[in-house]
Amino acid sequence: MHLDPFELHRPTTVEEAVGLAHDLAGRTDFVAGGTDLLPNYKMHLNVRPHLIALEDIPELRGRSLARIGAMERLADIESDAALARVYPGLADAVGEVATPLVRSSGTVGGNLLVETRCFFFNQSLFWRSSLGYCLKADGDKCHVVPQKERCYATFSGDVAPVLLVLDAEVEVAGPSGRRRIPLAALYDATGDGIRRLTLAPGELLVAVHLPEGARGRRARYKKLRVRPSYDFPELGVAVAGRWDAGRVASMHLAVGGVETYPRRFDELTAPLEGCALSDTAVRGLAEAVMRKLRPVHNTFLLPDYRRRMVEVYVRRAIAEAREGAAE
Amino acid sequence: MPSRDALSFRLNGHPVELACEPARVLLDLLREDLRLTGTKRGCDLGTCGCCAVLVDGRPTLSCLTLARLVEGRAVDTIEGITPAQGLSPVQRAFVEHGATQCGFCTPGFIVTATALLRANPSPSRAEIERAISGNLCRCTGYAKIIEAIRAAAGAD
Repeated sequence: MHLDPFELHRPTTVEEAVGLAHDLAGRTDFVAGGTDLLPNYKMHLNVRPHLIALEDIPELRGRSLARIGAMERLADIESDAALARVYPGLADAVGEVATPLVRSSGTVGGNLLVETRCFFFNQSLFWRSSLGYCLKADGDKCHVVPQKERCYATFSGDVAPVLLVLDAEVEVAGPSGRRRIPLAALYDATGDGIRRLTLAPGELLVAVHLPEGARGRRARYKKLRVRPSYDFPELGVAVAGRWDAGRVASMHLAVGGVETYPRRFDELTAPLEGCALSDTAVRGLAEAVMRKLRPVHNTFLLPDYRRRMVEVYVRRAIAEAREGAAE
Repeated sequence: MPSRDALSFRLNGHPVELACEPARVLLDLLREDLRLTGTKRGCDLGTCGCCAVLVDGRPTLSCLTLARLVEGRAVDTIEGITPAQGLSPVQRAFVEHGATQCGFCTPGFIVTATALLRANPSPSRAEIERAISGNLCRCTGYAKIIEAIRAAAGAD
């Protein structure tokens, strides 16, 4: 497989990268580790004539308990003992992204912005041309839910659900300057598999910021996939909780791998604060999360199975988070 | 037309310089331009690990690495890992343990195992299994590959 020709730009500062992206708007993509973008380019999916490599920008690097640069490699985050000790859920999730070889190049920023996925999108040009193209690339209709308005491609990042329950923020640079937003606000809850982010054209993810409050939270991440060595999530559940004398002091829960964006369920977890979390209460929460999610048949496992697994994985994630907190 | 600028890097310990288009991936540069065909093209999409090479000592999928981004770096392929005479300890262990059948995935496994043992000279069985989980073998069932890496690490 060969890549279509493109011009490669190698800015050395965030401002230069953002300026280039602004000038080339609509005709360029940023490339971080390349492990998500380049397979899509090889399949001739939404290829652009310019690529802006983020490799040479020092500001996008660096790891501490408070800040992780967007270009930090997943493998380096995985092997960072200090990060794993304080954020075990982050270590869980990072270590479950694809394979060690992918994590060696893949970055945390890339995983947060990973392209949404669908049976009818992640296919070769030949395959897609045979069936007829889809809304997300080259076509005007959806093959999953036949209509012409909305794309159902699934958000398939593993790191986002954990960073969501840790209240992470992301730093975004754009032509008009910098802004810092809650991670949840990076994703467009009113969008779809195509309009999935709130980033304006030319905006660049610079870093993830972890607030002080994240340090005491014992988060866990549970991932459902067919082949444990490398598949994208069919479902990913992150839970972070604090317990005080057997009662819930705070709890957050987020789910990825099911809909077009990773979703946090504060409206379901907030009422549990102050409660002793009985098995019945956990089951009630798990069922409530399950009822809110609407998987469609665009990944390997059947939607009904994935929905039923929501209930199971929510229970397992809570049990693990609780166990960790008691340590 | 995108420019075919000169690209220079260290390849298996020696400096190389050649023209390279921006859209060339390292795998194609190695196999087609430099005729180093030990690095294999498997899935070409980052799933199988057949194309693994070391970039500054780090195991890397050459099929998903833009060649221009290895400018100034050190790339080691299976040809470079193989000593001038004989075999490396990992290679010898693969031969002795029958860890290679059709052989197509073997260069990728040797690269991954070599990087593992450099970083962690005495890996546990679980660490070995995890380290090679991005390399697919359709023949061996992995048991002999794991045995070979354990032997190369001096575990047997």
